[in-house]
Amino acid sequence: MEQPHPGRKVNRRRFLKTAAGTTAGAALTAWSLKGPALARAAVRTDRARAAEPNPKRGGVLKWAGPAEVAHFDVHQGAFRFILGQMHNNLVRFNPADGLKTIIPDLAESWKASPDGKTYTFKLRDGVKFHDGTAFSSADVVATFSRIIFPPSGMASIYKDQFAAVEKLDAVDRLTVRFVLKESRPYFLELFTPSSMIIYSKKALDENNQDLRKVIAPGTGAFMFKERKAAEKWVMVRNPNYWDPEIPYLDGIEMLHIPAWTDRGTAVLTGQADYSPNVSLETYQEGLKRKDIVGTVRYPGEFNSYQVHINNDRKPFNDPRVRRAINLAVSRQNLIKAFGTQEPIVLTRWMSHASEFATPLAELEKLPGYRADKAADLAEAKKLMAAAGLADGVKNVDFVSASVAPHAEILAPAFQDELRRTLGIETKIRVMERALLIEELKKGTFDMMVQTEYRSPIGDPGPGWEMCLKTGGSLNFSRYSSPEFDRLLKQVNSETDKGKRKRLFAQGMALLDQTAPLYLIGFTDHLPMWRTNVKGHASEGRVFSELGRVDTFWLDR
Amino acid sequence: MSKYLAQRLLIAVPTLLGVTLLIFIAMRVLPGDPLSAISGEGGGTYVLSQEQLQAARASLGLDRPYVVQYLDWLRDILRGDLGKSFWRGEPIRELIFRRAPITGQIALMAIIISGVIGLPVGLIGALWRNSWTDYAFRLVVTLFLAIPSFWVGLMIVLSLVLAFTWRPPLTIVYLWDDPIRNLQMTAGPALILGVALAAMMARITRSSVLEVLGEDYVRTARAKGLRERTVVWRHALVNAMLPILTVSGTAFGALLGGSVAVERAFGVPGLGLALVFAIAERDWMLIQNLVLLYGVIFVLINLAIDVSYGWFDPRIRYQ
Repeated sequence: MEQPHPGRKVNRRRFLKTAAGTTAGAALTAWSLKGPALARAAVRTDRARAAEPNPKRGGVLKWAGPAEVAHFDVHQGAFRFILGQMHNNLVRFNPADGLKTIIPDLAESWKASPDGKTYTFKLRDGVKFHDGTAFSSADVVATFSRIIFPPSGMASIYKDQFAAVEKLDAVDRLTVRFVLKESRPYFLELFTPSSMIIYSKKALDENNQDLRKVIAPGTGAFMFKERKAAEKWVMVRNPNYWDPEIPYLDGIEMLHIPAWTDRGTAVLTGQADYSPNVSLETYQEGLKRKDIVGTVRYPGEFNSYQVHINNDRKPFNDPRVRRAINLAVSRQNLIKAFGTQEPIVLTRWMSHASEFATPLAELEKLPGYRADKAADLAEAKKLMAAAGLADGVKNVDFVSASVAPHAEILAPAFQDELRRTLGIETKIRVMERALLIEELKKGTFDMMVQTEYRSPIGDPGPGWEMCLKTGGSLNFSRYSSPEFDRLLKQVNSETDKGKRKRLFAQGMALLDQTAPLYLIGFTDHLPMWRTNVKGHASEGRVFSELGRVDTFWLDR
Repeated sequence: MSKYLAQRLLIAVPTLLGVTLLIFIAMRVLPGDPLSAISGEGGGTYVLSQEQLQAARASLGLDRPYVVQYLDWLRDILRGDLGKSFWRGEPIRELIFRRAPITGQIALMAIIISGVIGLPVGLIGALWRNSWTDYAFRLVVTLFLAIPSFWVGLMIVLSLVLAFTWRPPLTIVYLWDDPIRNLQMTAGPALILGVALAAMMARITRSSVLEVLGEDYVRTARAKGLRERTVVWRHALVNAMLPILTVSGTAFGALLGGSVAVERAFGVPGLGLALVFAIAERDWMLIQNLVLLYGVIFVLINLAIDVSYGWFDPRIRYQ
């Protein structure tokens, strides 16, 4: 099986050290020379640009994807890939180099204190929101204060990842400072996802800190023009954008096409120009139609498949039983079974795209991950016997979403593996996803196929904090290990990359032993674009950020 | 006639009230909370605190007693205000106005197709009973009755993509804006639904006409020396229409249900597709109103069919 493992070419720690006290542009330019060449000579590396020289201007990009939102407040959970087009972040990943490096966005430069506990951002001057309001440090403070210290009743879904922030303040009109309780080596990266947009203080104040019913003006390259609910969003080029070079497009039409197959066929037939994620069969068709479309696999960092094992319920409160399951059930078989639906990539407790991930060659030799199950199975049976379950377990409640890939492939495949290998008899309970989320939160299941194990950024640290730490907001398996919590605290405050790598390795070894859940693997996204769509550098992307299209251009 | 119509409309009121009550209770009794679906959006699943849940419920009006919610809904319907989608915040009336022309057009085209194909096929089958033509028609009719419409729809879309790199448009195009693109979008679903309905209609037409052809008055008509065409058109077919019409009423109901699946298969953004996603998102308000709309349409179609009995059979008088 093809197992792409691009890894990161970026040493963020080194970058932060280099960047400290200098302008980010100079540092990035120097640093970028070490990266792979992608028409780099023609491209500024301190600003978002198309990778290709001489991009053409004009045209409207038709984007096909899930273009619907329940409300308009990204920081309360609204779908960021749509709304994010109208906004900027403080920093972003460079679209020209395949999202390998962090470049300035509204922050012109930044520096971290030597102890890594203070981050100071120098903001761009002369930026205006779409309603004409001038952008300043007050907007950044208002935005992140609301995320980190939300007002009563607000569902700040990104609060957890900024838990280390003690305070933030505006040093002057164009300078913002974040003070951390303890250093976070990935702190800068937390500002890169397309969810980390900057709202205007004015919009927040005028709407009582709640933007769910308001399409708030952004500073971004595109401005809102029209929305037809559950059909499309239309945005036009911001003529007063602070970066006069981009966007290259006159506008974007974001078509709401929820079904993956429909997205793929929309691109194949020219009804759409680009889709961030199409179905496997249309992706495969796209590979045969290179004359009209391009397609690759974006290494996934945010989507995984796993079986949550309820650590609060007997007999799964015994780590030996969970470990036995992790040893006995063949990941290769599950990945193969699911291969008709979506490409899942074998990995160990974090995305295969992470720089801290165990290399595939090494992973395939490890117990629980290797294809040859003979030794693993013998060990798993010993563990079950030691737990007093040599004859297996009966009537295990196994919950699955009603969507066919879960209910008809993954759940039955996992059920069969459990029965054949360890004599664990499960009863699959199929329910709609909306109900499943309720069960997940209440913990009323023994096992559940799910997709909620992830990290908000490429660094697995915040993901472990949310998904595996005692009481973590996405710790749906109810895992609790003081030893792991201590290790996690270390790994998330350590700034030396080498030491972090060792700590992550220790963490993974501990997780292998205590087995909080059964991670099948992370998925790759399958984007597809018409061959005349440029400026996205999809072939070189190191992860599947589905964000802004301000560097896209149409070769027409 | 007008008295009969008024009576029937009065009878329709409790029927529709029953529909509102049933769908309202079903949405509250069946498990699944719209807030769970909403909290699974965008940033993935996240856990709301009790306070946040309370506030979210209040903002959707779900914190009020069920009786109040129900009566408010009825009052809103009478005022023509169907409320807003829980999920999108969009007024439901606007959604219906935008999408209904597409679904309505597909339904209308399907009905025309079913009539144009179903009646002649059934009639020919009856007139040339047990001939090769009859066998062939029966085979095709059975085939189309047996194959699920949505599957045929999927196969058509897939074949078009693979063979011609073409697929029907995925975004709304109205007939009055761009007739060609509109027909590209609606023709497929209309054909699939129409053919399925035609199969049903052909079957019932064949059996009805066969039954009527054996009646005494047909024999008498032939004995009088009337031309066969007159016998068939003036005596047999008109009298065979009553059961055909009755079955058509039920078939239109099936067509409404079938449109949901076929719109999904073709990716047509009509009311059926809106209903599919509303169910997945537990958008109670949208589901309630769309089901009610489908109920109203069903009741009106059946009323129209009842009224049309008198036209086909003068013995039926509405007094």
